[in-house]
Amino acid sequence: MRNQIRERRIQREMSQLALADALAVSRQTVMSIESGRYLPSLPLAFAIARFFDMTVDKMFDPEGEEAGA
Amino acid sequence: MKFIRPRLRKPLLRGIAGLGLAGAWAIGGGHARWLAIVIAIVALGNAVGWYVLAGNDSDDAALLGSRGDERQKLVGLKARALAGVVAMIAAYTGLLITLAVKRSDAWQFAALFAVTAFAYLFGLSSYGSGEPDAADDTDAGYGQRSPIRY
Repeated sequence: MRNQIRERRIQREMSQLALADALAVSRQTVMSIESGRYLPSLPLAFAIARFFDMTVDKMFDPEGEEAGA
Repeated sequence: MKFIRPRLRKPLLRGIAGLGLAGAWAIGGGHARWLAIVIAIVALGNAVGWYVLAGNDSDDAALLGSRGDERQKLVGLKARALAGVVAMIAAYTGLLITLAVKRSDAWQFAALFAVTAFAYLFGLSSYGSGEPDAADDTDAGYGQRSPIRY
């Protein structure tokens, strides 16, 4: 599943650590979600989408394939 | 456990487990009773080491420090599940070997296997595999009202 977290994070000039702190998860988890290795729970997916002022279905694309996945 | 700092919980448990081992060794007696002191020192050193490691920035450290997020907890859960499966297979293998070689010792492996098997069944019943709840839309007419067509 593709997501736009990395692009949005870079747009905001945020580090993975800063995003992790904002979402109350670890830096490793942000990395895993960005690379598509881990699919977040529904509450975390909503938290991510809200953080970037997006909807979950815009943030996560079930049709897309991660390059590294 | 809430009153103990998260980072201290697991190292403390490991330290207590090690001291228990040392105590059991000391109670067991014999000419090597002094080894209990060595076991206790190693156990305490081990607990301090785990505490230091729990401060690192990694998945293992987060789990060790009882501050894992949802993904890290899932990793921990999978690791514990693997440990349970391996324990069950080891107990069953031991049971087979002792049945073939020294039948009088087989009960120990049988007991271990039974404990792991019952723990698995208990887990199934506790975490959701029971009588399924009846569907709540049987007579509610949702099918007629729903705009979704399949």
